[in-house]
Amino acid sequence: MSRDNSLPPLRVRVLEDPPLRDQPEPFQDQSSYNPNVPIAIDFGSSKLRAGYVNDPNPSHIFPNRLTRYRDRKLAKTMTFIGNDTSLDQAVRVQAKSAFDGPLVTNWDYVEDTLEYTFNHLGVAANGGISNPLVINERLATIQSQRANWYQILFECFDVPGVTFGIDSLFGFYHNSGPNSTGLVIGCGNEDTNVIPVVDGKGVLTESKRINWGGNQATEYLTNLMSLKYPYFPTKLSPFQYKTMYEDYCYVSQSYDEELEKYLSLDNLETNNVVLEAPFTEVVQPQKTEEELRLQAEKRKESGKRLQEQAKQKRVERMIQKEEELQYYTQVREQLKDQPKKKVLSILQNSGFDDERDFKKYVYNLERSLKKSQSTELEDGEEDDQDTENKFELLNVPDEQLNEEQLKEKRKQKILKASQDARNKAKEEKERAAQIEEKKRLQDEQWRENDLTSWIKDKHQKLNKLISQRKERIKMRDEMKDRKSQMSQSRMKNLATLAEDSGRGGSKRTRQQATIDNDPNDTFGANDEDWMVYSDISQSPEALEELIEDQYKEIVALERVLLEFDPNFTEEDTLDAQYDWRNSVLHLFLRGPRPHDGESIHHQHQMHMNIERIRVPEVLFQPNMGGEDQAGIPELCETLLLRKFGSTQRQLSDVSTSMAQNVWITGGNAKLPGLRERIVKEFSEFLPSGSPFSIRKSQDPSLDAWRGMAKLAQNTEDFKHGYITKQEYLEYGPEYIKEHNLGNVHYFE
Amino acid sequence: MQHSSSPLSRRDIKMTMSKPVNNSGVERLEFLRSVHNRNLVSVPSPFKKSSYRKPSRRHKSSRQLFTDESKRINAVLQQQQQQEQQDGKPRPIPKVTHFNVNAPPSLRPCKKYCDITGLKGLYRSPVNNLRYCNSEVYRLVVKPMPPGVDQEYLKLRGDHFVLK
Repeated sequence: MSRDNSLPPLRVRVLEDPPLRDQPEPFQDQSSYNPNVPIAIDFGSSKLRAGYVNDPNPSHIFPNRLTRYRDRKLAKTMTFIGNDTSLDQAVRVQAKSAFDGPLVTNWDYVEDTLEYTFNHLGVAANGGISNPLVINERLATIQSQRANWYQILFECFDVPGVTFGIDSLFGFYHNSGPNSTGLVIGCGNEDTNVIPVVDGKGVLTESKRINWGGNQATEYLTNLMSLKYPYFPTKLSPFQYKTMYEDYCYVSQSYDEELEKYLSLDNLETNNVVLEAPFTEVVQPQKTEEELRLQAEKRKESGKRLQEQAKQKRVERMIQKEEELQYYTQVREQLKDQPKKKVLSILQNSGFDDERDFKKYVYNLERSLKKSQSTELEDGEEDDQDTENKFELLNVPDEQLNEEQLKEKRKQKILKASQDARNKAKEEKERAAQIEEKKRLQDEQWRENDLTSWIKDKHQKLNKLISQRKERIKMRDEMKDRKSQMSQSRMKNLATLAEDSGRGGSKRTRQQATIDNDPNDTFGANDEDWMVYSDISQSPEALEELIEDQYKEIVALERVLLEFDPNFTEEDTLDAQYDWRNSVLHLFLRGPRPHDGESIHHQHQMHMNIERIRVPEVLFQPNMGGEDQAGIPELCETLLLRKFGSTQRQLSDVSTSMAQNVWITGGNAKLPGLRERIVKEFSEFLPSGSPFSIRKSQDPSLDAWRGMAKLAQNTEDFKHGYITKQEYLEYGPEYIKEHNLGNVHYFE
Repeated sequence: MQHSSSPLSRRDIKMTMSKPVNNSGVERLEFLRSVHNRNLVSVPSPFKKSSYRKPSRRHKSSRQLFTDESKRINAVLQQQQQQEQQDGKPRPIPKVTHFNVNAPPSLRPCKKYCDITGLKGLYRSPVNNLRYCNSEVYRLVVKPMPPGVDQEYLKLRGDHFVLK
């Protein structure tokens, strides 16, 4: 295809694992430590962010993962946490999270991680931490989680007090200030929350959670890609899928419209992402031309020698058989006039059972001789010229020849017979070629005389062939399917035939009614009975061959038509209809370029196209990802149009101010296009003309930590939710202190 | 970030440690050991209460924890109900729990997409319930699909068989 060569190659991005770090996590200086500055810890399921609240940013941000690595030599277990897990490949792949889904399940890990964090923050401690803490929780977290947090903070680290809050509300607090009204859409790693805020207080009773976050999206992408490329040669790591999600997925502004044109060539040209998994290329040692030539020669020579040997052997065996046959023919002649008893004794002496056995033997001998003669005739086609003059002994009577010459004569006799047969076959071939040539001439004449009817005829033939081909392909597919009607009837036929021959076989030995002479068996009386055999001999492989042959015929016919029919163009040919440009599957799997199955690069390439918008779309249609829940826009719509005294047509005052102060926070909010899409959805469901504003901070993943820091610095607000050790000891692990940004009691 | 500007000095361990360029087995292990030693906290830990002993914790999966929580809530409700019958106090209702903040099912009609490609899925295979977008996808993917794979596709949108 010449058109393909003109296309520039696509940009290929190599999917590397993120690089290993070479510096361990730094320590903060203990000299500047102040025991009264609160420490804020955003203990997220993906990342942990920690720092003193008087800093603008968390001083430590690391993946919330931990590895226990066994040092075999010292028989010690080393623990690596956070960024230190990516110092070494072996350590990194073993890293585990304290979380199982949305909940903390491994509290030993939490204990170690917190100790590590305090250590790195430069906390000068002596039997406990003296700083107040701010820590985040999930929306409506379950009681056992909080109880465990209390336990670990008060009983292990002996903190003076702690404030718990919901990370989305912390994010809102950071972005919007203490007493504002608004709406926060928290896009987390494990879930997505929509929480209304009135006068700075989160209204948790109207909040909703979608069980879908960055982690679920990455998993969804992983599953999609491994189903798309089930035979992909390498296994990609979770890190690689995570980079794929973070780097190439984006939120479509209008999903259904974009979907429609996504697999068009133009769109793929810009939006198809080619990712290549790294692999080591195996270079085959190249042989020089001289070596190759020598090798080929050697092979040819040894082949020739083998052929000659085999031929020699065959001829020898043939002669032996010929002699045997002659001997037994003589014996048969002699036995003709003998009495039966004597014949039997003679035969039994020479190793035969009875006369029948003898006859059978002779018959078989004759047959095998004939067979070998005919194979000889096919083989020896090239050396028949020089054998012309080798038959001089044939015309000499036997009496004049000695033993040696007699043997030679017999050999010549055989060769002569085979040559005759060969000549006959040759003549037949020539005759066929002549007929073919005559046909061709006739066809040509027809074409010259009456082009239209000729074309019509050819088209008819072509259509017939094509429809036949379709039928055969269908038949082949059906045959491959074990449950199809065709294979079932085939199995049935096989079973009946097998049953027949089984019964017949056992009876034949007893000289009773056999399948051949059973008077009740009428099989074969009707000609159609024999069709059974053609039915069962059809196998998918044989059909495959037939289809292949037919394809060649079609191509030949098309070539003629292309030459002489002005209305028949390249695009009408069978091949053009299988062009990859027209194949949705090709475009989906291989992008806007032809695929070369041999190329090792192509084998290691994944094409991300529809997935780029399909994966983030789940936030808007959770049904796509198997969550039977409403998406972000629907939840916001319900909140703004049905709650807080609003109606479909008229927003209440609270809702109006809420719509004008919408914030998107959380790490998953980094998805490109998320804010724009939510803006579009809002303008669709809000009454026309209602003002609204939807914002996202520069780095939404840091919002929660900054909100914590801001809260802790506002002494008035901080006090509201602050639980002291004394209170914990008094009220126990079920104690909840309600405040603007935190969780509330379970019951009313 | 703040720490990057602060002078790198801490305790008696050198901070100029960096990963060996030649990552041979011994050097690698030595490097890991040095990082580990630097992170080590003296025993007993200064960060922890001196009387603290690590409790033996039972690890429960998230699913178990959620079941426990739902049991706990039901138990509280039942207990309160009994009390209500005794002294006539109004019965409490759950306010904010893990379960009632769960977003409700969507009221909008569920759009249908091709399970294989993600395009609009106008058709559905009667054999394995997969949705597909055109005859090519059906002929080459859906129909010859090996057993079990269809369930994996259905699982993506939560429509697979779950054995209970």
